[in-house]
Amino acid sequence: MTTPKQDTAATDTAATDPDAIRDWLLDRVAFYLERPVTDLRPDVKLVEYGLDSVYALTLCGDIEDEYGLELEPTLAWDHPTVDAIVTLLREMISGNR
Amino acid sequence: MTAATPGTATGLFADLDTPDPLDARFGDPTDPANPAGFDAFLAADERGELLPAGRQVVDGFGLGAEFVPRGLGGRLGQVDDLARVLRPVFRRDAALGLGYGAINLISSATVWAAGNAEQRRWLADVLLRNGQTAGAYTELATGHDLVRSRLRATVRGDELVLSGGKEVINNIARADAATVLARTSDEPGSRSHSLVLVDLASVPRDRLRFLPRFRTSGMRAINLGGVEFLDCPVPASALVGGAGEALETVLRAFQVTKAALTGATIGSLDTQLRTVTRFALERRLYQRSVADLPLPRAVLAGAFTDLLIADCLATTVCRALHVLPRQTSVYAAAAKYLVPMLTQDCVDELAVLLGARSFLRDGPYGIFQKHLRDLPVGSLAHAGETVCQATIIPQLPRLARKSWFATPPAPATLFRLDEPLPELDFDRLEITAKPDDGLAATLLDVEQDLRDDPLLGPLCGQLVAELAALRADCLDLAPRNRTPLAAPISFELAERYAIVLAASACLGVWRHNQDHPDPFLRDTAWLVAALGRLTARLGRDPVPGAAAVEPAVFAALVERHESNRGFDLVGRRLC
Repeated sequence: MTTPKQDTAATDTAATDPDAIRDWLLDRVAFYLERPVTDLRPDVKLVEYGLDSVYALTLCGDIEDEYGLELEPTLAWDHPTVDAIVTLLREMISGNR
Repeated sequence: MTAATPGTATGLFADLDTPDPLDARFGDPTDPANPAGFDAFLAADERGELLPAGRQVVDGFGLGAEFVPRGLGGRLGQVDDLARVLRPVFRRDAALGLGYGAINLISSATVWAAGNAEQRRWLADVLLRNGQTAGAYTELATGHDLVRSRLRATVRGDELVLSGGKEVINNIARADAATVLARTSDEPGSRSHSLVLVDLASVPRDRLRFLPRFRTSGMRAINLGGVEFLDCPVPASALVGGAGEALETVLRAFQVTKAALTGATIGSLDTQLRTVTRFALERRLYQRSVADLPLPRAVLAGAFTDLLIADCLATTVCRALHVLPRQTSVYAAAAKYLVPMLTQDCVDELAVLLGARSFLRDGPYGIFQKHLRDLPVGSLAHAGETVCQATIIPQLPRLARKSWFATPPAPATLFRLDEPLPELDFDRLEITAKPDDGLAATLLDVEQDLRDDPLLGPLCGQLVAELAALRADCLDLAPRNRTPLAAPISFELAERYAIVLAASACLGVWRHNQDHPDPFLRDTAWLVAALGRLTARLGRDPVPGAAAVEPAVFAALVERHESNRGFDLVGRRLC
């Protein structure tokens, strides 16, 4: 069982390569859904997993804290899969450097 | 603005001794011959209709202009001012205040937030000529779960075609304009709804059906109805904001409406407290007045304290919309949740004091039972307790993790009652709070200066301990308890947080209004009483000696009553 038990937001070890971002995001999604991370696919819409509008807003806050970014809170409404969010974040993070 | 010396009347306090203009238009509430007095409102309530004389007063005042931003020719500037302007209406009749007043803010705020220039101009004109509007956001089947509402708007050529119904909509059958929340996409999620501004006079009447009126236990005079659109065409230009943006717009605009409505309803509590104070001073038992007996004095002083707490929180949150717009998603929900709850508890105690007269439907105290029945309806109106708690809950872990005990205190402007505020900018309101909880931080800031005070020191200490405990509990919250499906524990955390915010608001208001013309508000008695009431709600032990402030609070209540002043923070003369 790989369901994350702990709230791992803001670990201060923000990874910036796409795989690491994707893994971190999937971990967060698994945390909110209380499901094993191995159950989740990055190309499936979060809303299909039951990650509702409220979770989506919360997830955005977690991303801001992890990566030190200011984001539109509706980010996960407009980028509805983990992959879509990773693409956006990669652009933002490389743009910041 | 430079600091005024005590007693110097500036701005807000300049007119303290002249009667509130709207209250003066209504005239003496207790005069049985007054067509806009309590007896007339009671009779209208029995008939289930909005009192025509009351509507005339509101129209004569041009209340519609209060909901229209100044840039569009109206008088809407600061939200705390708006709440105070509405209070005299709620003092008479909450049904008039909501159903013929604040409802117009609820329906228009989304258009001010997201509408284009032409839509804003048109709606402003409707309100400036005292037209009526309706906010058709909710459906009975889905309630405040707006994401699941079903009324549909489909693009057909250069038209939008509306089909479906909206129920429990205030004012809908007599409105000139309605803001309608419509589904514009079949996709699940939060980008599938849009807002449509409907000119009800210009739609084909055979494509519109008004549903029968819903009858209610309280606020019997409101026109709660429904509407069904039957493939009803409206111009495509009726779309407010972009397609799919409704949820976001609503989440911003409703911060303003929640805060303003909360502040306005303090007028109802004023009437409840005034009615029972009058009873206690007039009624004689055991050869003394009821007000001379210890228990009634404690109840009355407690109710006055609760009213001040409610005003501190409501006013601070209204001002936060201008000063801390990144935080008000959670603050407005906290105020809209806590103030009705405080008020309900408070009027329940007042009802016991009033005894049999608390349920008599006429006579000199008959207005009490009307406001008592109105209160639960008003509490649910717009956003009920649970909806507000559900807004707060998912935001708590981040505030706990990133903000509490880290963010600096809110600026003094937030609390200074007579200091003008920057303009309200709907675009700056964030739909979830950022981790910059300046209001909670004010508690920690003021506490440092009060440590040596024998009463305020320990009271603040309890509150700081509460925030620390709250932080630990929020960090421990299981994921599923961070959602609307949370267990009761989360709802309890939301309540504790709202209470801490209320205490912070009291401390901030006290600290930053040391030039208030009323020495009672500069002094600490009310603050000790307020923090005592709030820490008692948190289950904390009473601080020894704190009860000694009660005579000072009671004396101020009687003084306000006898000089016919509002019981709120400003304390202006009534009619």
